[in-house]
Amino acid sequence: MQRLGERELRVLELKDIRKTFDDLAGGHWVLAEGLNLQVPSGSTVAVLGPSGSGKSTLLKIIAGLEPQDSGTVSFDGVDLARVPPERRRFALMFQDFALFAHLNVRDNVAFGLVEQGLGRAVARERALAMLVVFGLAERARFKVWKLSGGEQQRVALARALITEPRLLLLDEPFSALDAQLRAGLRDEFAQHIAQRRIATVLVTHDEAEARAMAQRGYRLTAGHLHQAW
Amino acid sequence: MGMGRTTWGWPAVGLALVPALFLGLVMLAPLWRLALEARAGASWQMVAELWRDDYLRWRVSWSFLQAGATCVAALVLALPVSWALARFHFPGRALVLRLLMLPFVVPTLVAAMGVLALWGPRGWISGWIGIDLQDTPWLLLYGNLFFNLCLVVRAGVEALGQVSAARVAAARTLGATPWRVFWRVEWPAIVPWLASALCLVFLYCLSGFGLALVLGGQRYATVEVEIYTLVAHELKLAQAGVLALCMALLTGLIALAYAWIEQRLAAPGRADAIALRPPAGPGAWCAVAGALLVLGFFCAAPLLAIGIRAATAGPDAWSHVFDEESLRAIWNTLRFTAMALLLATVLGVTHALAARRSIWLRAGAFLPFIVSPVTVAFGLLLMYPGWSASLSMLVAAYALLAYPFVAKSLGAALDVQPEHLTQAARTLGATPWRLFWRVTLPLAMPSLRRGMAFAAATALGEFAVTLFLSRPEWATLTTLIYERLGRPGAGNRDDALVLAAVLMLLSLLVFLLIEQPGSGRRDAAFGRAGAARA
Repeated sequence: MQRLGERELRVLELKDIRKTFDDLAGGHWVLAEGLNLQVPSGSTVAVLGPSGSGKSTLLKIIAGLEPQDSGTVSFDGVDLARVPPERRRFALMFQDFALFAHLNVRDNVAFGLVEQGLGRAVARERALAMLVVFGLAERARFKVWKLSGGEQQRVALARALITEPRLLLLDEPFSALDAQLRAGLRDEFAQHIAQRRIATVLVTHDEAEARAMAQRGYRLTAGHLHQAW
Repeated sequence: MGMGRTTWGWPAVGLALVPALFLGLVMLAPLWRLALEARAGASWQMVAELWRDDYLRWRVSWSFLQAGATCVAALVLALPVSWALARFHFPGRALVLRLLMLPFVVPTLVAAMGVLALWGPRGWISGWIGIDLQDTPWLLLYGNLFFNLCLVVRAGVEALGQVSAARVAAARTLGATPWRVFWRVEWPAIVPWLASALCLVFLYCLSGFGLALVLGGQRYATVEVEIYTLVAHELKLAQAGVLALCMALLTGLIALAYAWIEQRLAAPGRADAIALRPPAGPGAWCAVAGALLVLGFFCAAPLLAIGIRAATAGPDAWSHVFDEESLRAIWNTLRFTAMALLLATVLGVTHALAARRSIWLRAGAFLPFIVSPVTVAFGLLLMYPGWSASLSMLVAAYALLAYPFVAKSLGAALDVQPEHLTQAARTLGATPWRLFWRVTLPLAMPSLRRGMAFAAATALGEFAVTLFLSRPEWATLTTLIYERLGRPGAGNRDDALVLAAVLMLLSLLVFLLIEQPGSGRRDAAFGRAGAARA
């Protein structure tokens, strides 16, 4: 797997994205209208907005999990319209962590490596090494539901980072945690991401969190992104 | 790049075709043929004539009456029982809740034998009170309650678990006594659940065959028994066709009512459920004891009676279990069940997966529940007379009755599987097929196992279809029990009791082996809790 070179400029680009939903009353709800966004290599961009503003859907559009009505999503200048989610190599971290309850901690982390074709034994070895980095080695054989909220969060990040994704998408990553844990994990996450220089899109409703992690921030209002810093 | 559930690709169409074709060939086409038979040999005049016939009018009226009476009795008994089980925590409560599943696993003929062991000629209770209850409606009603009381109690416990603690607390602070709280807050919340359960009870009682055949006697048998008699003994196919069609239409209407109520129930569960409390004071303990007594009397006693009567039947009756005839019946029962389970699993899985994309296919999983086994078998006989005693038709009919359990159980698990998990797997590189194999299936496995366990129990205890479609050398345990019951003498009755005990043990064993209680449940619950938290 090729790691990004420092001077290599890979850019996620969203151009003229339009996305609407039908509401229950039979009308249209506009989530995005002519929405544009660029994320340079190695940088973290935050998208701020209240609950229900469509931040999570925006991440799903980038990940290929939700189709846009019109507009293009490209990475490195390549239009991703016909690239399915599993081939984009964008790791999406969910608000509820989305850990696989039938697998133990190590196999959760190894999941993506196995899907990339790595042998199970090698994948597990690498997963264990990753868990050492995240201070969870002794939890490797635990079922995920036996972990605390903070530990689950770390497993989710380890699982996302181990595949060396081209882009990391974080959906309200700390909202399920208490305030004290949140601050500590935020710094830890920022450090892991900075070390790997992965382009990251963070969506959150917490401006302090966004400012602490992202070099650039946008507000999502009425279907448009407005630069906040 | 759709993950959308409404998109139809070729794999999805292929999936949908498997259960759709099966339903079409094994159920809808035979029903259509049945309708043609009824139309060719009869008319509306014939329906009117049937209704003017005192004997048949009584059969139809009694069928509805016994189903209605069972519903009323089940509601009256289940309400206090489920309230005690839902509100009090006592030692053994979890076991009692688990044992409530037992009647769903017990074959109809085993239940009928249990009822006879208690209330039949030389039965324990009838002998003790000195009243012969043979040829009274009591036997059938008691048998109905054995099967259906647990169903209503389970629905009641589940419904009471959904009642909001905050609303109850609010009502108490506004001056309502516990009794008033029940009627003004809890009762309105649980009515739809109970109504849904009672629709099922009515449906089961109306289309039931085995209990009515063995316990109804001459006077209190139902329409289903009448259809069987008209086809198998009197060869009056047109008359039987009209009756079967009328019953299929009526049960269809009840099923529609059930589906309508079920749709209204499809709301997320409440997070603020009322906490269980230990019974404090004599009143609470009386409620718990009363609940256990009712369940013991109606649901446990017949099974205990079979167990004890079989254990004390003597070596002669037990030695007959190893007769060539009995061993062949056990072998037939097991091999038909294995074949039907295999087919039912394939059909159930494909149906559940395809039904995620189609509301019509989802409703289709309920179709085999609507039509009685007697109607299914009769329709198959008419549609495919050349295959009337072929193994493939017998297994197909078994699978038709069994696979909805797999489809519904797996479908329910897929419905609550958090979308985030599948999305996470996709972004981690899993293709749709790998996603199914590595995430969807393992998480749904406990539900799939449970569905398969019910399917196996259904096949093991199948009676009506076997009676219609089987060859003499294909006798199963159920048909052998029925045959032994028909022979005179106490020895034959003991043989039947012992065979019923063997069938009961076999059903329990197969159910437990397939279901493996507890395995994987916490995994699935964690996934759902994660989704709820988000």
